[in-house]
Amino acid sequence: MSARKFAADKLLWETLGRWKRSSPELDRIQFLKTVPFFDRLSKRQLKTVSDIMFERTYDTNEWIFEEGQPGAAMFLILDGKIAIEICRETGTTHLAVLEKGAFFGEMALLDDTPRSANARALERTRTLALYRNDLTGLRRRHARTACQIYRSLATMIADRLRATNELVQMKTPADMA
Amino acid sequence: MSNGQDFEEKERERKVRRTVFYLIFAGLVLIVGGFLTWKLSGLILPIIVGALLAFVFRPVKERFRIRWLPHELQVLCSFAAIGVVLFFAFNTLRKHIPDEEQKLEFKVRLKYKLNERYRQLVAKLPERKSNAVTPLIEKEVGPLMDKVNQALALDPKERDLFLKYAAGYNGKPPIQSKFVDYFWANQKTGKYVIPEKTPTSPAPPVAPVGVAPTPAPPASEGASLENKLSAWMLAPLIFVFLGFDNGQIRRFFISLVPNRYFELSLTVLDELDDAIGRYLRGTLLECFLVGLALTLGLVLLGIPLGIAVAIGVVSGLLNAIPFLGTVIALVIGVGYALIAENVTPLIPGLNPNDLALYVLILVVIVHVLDDVVFQPFVLGSAANVHPLVVVIAIISGSLIMGLWGMLFAIPTVVVVKTAVATFFKELKDYRII
Repeated sequence: MSARKFAADKLLWETLGRWKRSSPELDRIQFLKTVPFFDRLSKRQLKTVSDIMFERTYDTNEWIFEEGQPGAAMFLILDGKIAIEICRETGTTHLAVLEKGAFFGEMALLDDTPRSANARALERTRTLALYRNDLTGLRRRHARTACQIYRSLATMIADRLRATNELVQMKTPADMA
Repeated sequence: MSNGQDFEEKERERKVRRTVFYLIFAGLVLIVGGFLTWKLSGLILPIIVGALLAFVFRPVKERFRIRWLPHELQVLCSFAAIGVVLFFAFNTLRKHIPDEEQKLEFKVRLKYKLNERYRQLVAKLPERKSNAVTPLIEKEVGPLMDKVNQALALDPKERDLFLKYAAGYNGKPPIQSKFVDYFWANQKTGKYVIPEKTPTSPAPPVAPVGVAPTPAPPASEGASLENKLSAWMLAPLIFVFLGFDNGQIRRFFISLVPNRYFELSLTVLDELDDAIGRYLRGTLLECFLVGLALTLGLVLLGIPLGIAVAIGVVSGLLNAIPFLGTVIALVIGVGYALIAENVTPLIPGLNPNDLALYVLILVVIVHVLDDVVFQPFVLGSAANVHPLVVVIAIISGSLIMGLWGMLFAIPTVVVVKTAVATFFKELKDYRII
């Protein structure tokens, strides 16, 4: 980073930015800093991401999205609890319960393939939603920030793939049959 | 009753209350919105124009993203860039906009040349056709020529001004003696057609000269012009404020949407934004290409560059109105071709006397080029609207809002069509219907 850019970035605009920001915005940036998905981003980059996120509040038992719907956004839990479940004729399978700081629906950031599960609020839950096309727009305007997010996404998918491979390898041929 | 049932009962009641509240609120918004739209109808057009300009110029704003500058300064930079470009464009165009003297000269020339052509036509006819045709032409075209002559006649004030300019006035050189001769010839022309059509009329045909009553404009006219001007001040304001918007307006509207439709509304808004943006920017590009093609064609026909650019710009802009844009281009182009003098076409073998015919052919070629190349290439299927719908939309637009209505008719149809198609598709995708 050049000295000029450093001076502009750290001294001038951060000071101005601090004056301008409202406290909920600062809280949101602080929160994003704690989310592993965004841990590679600087404060200024987090502000840029925070500016394009939508805050939504869901009541108990309200659907955030349903299986089969086209995905358009990834959700981050600000507070509350979310159940990820699959509904079949035989019954409902609970896959996971997610709490503050967790994120879900991240595959929607890549394409609009249908959601593979339902997401339902188990209690009153506040979420932050990151819309796919906003992230695409970010790629044009703040390429580095968008790249970091995509990198996080890729790392996360790779981790999951690795975990799935391990699960498959652990299964014996008898299980497979 | 268990706690769970109690909770569900309360939730159901809350849902009913919420629905009633939303319905009442929506009704109130509709009534207040309708009343305001009716009362402030004069503001609608400037608001639409300002918003459309902001929408069209948004990519320019996006291009001026400088990472280390705050949003407000980035927008100011983009405004400065747009302002500089517009300033130079208008400055260049202004040189080609006729001043008072040129307008008078233009009127005199047009009247003289049209009458000359008419006289030539009537005089030529007996040689080629039977004598029965001449009275027929005179009967049909004569009244039209009378009306044209009346429209192009200079009022007493304009006559005095022309004569002043003819002798050199306001620091300008005198008008060419040829045009002064046209002026005097035009004074006689007034007597030329009318007596034949109204033989029993006791009134002299040169009545307009010195007699034309010019009622003083009522005071309300000035006031309404002032109102209109102040209403149009809104357009740049809207443009600037929408330019500074960094997605806050979209976020506000999205925040009003129920959770169930959150992703759906984001997708619909985005697709609409994309489709309308592509259409509007495509139309602008198409208008530019049509204007450019016409300008190049007119230059090749020998028309001076300044005039060719002026005709190209006007015709290009009016090309946004289907059908009518071409007709207006034709009228302006042929109108100028009729009065043009000493024209030397750059294409060899063309007869300068048939300039009007060449302009007609040029306008037809550009129209075909627009239909076959520009529109499919630039707009693609964005403007895929049935011709009958186009005609009905333009007529309806003109009935509702005049010229502006005609200009906005097709964009409105495209917006509504895209909105409905996208909305229904997404509603089905999200399994809402």
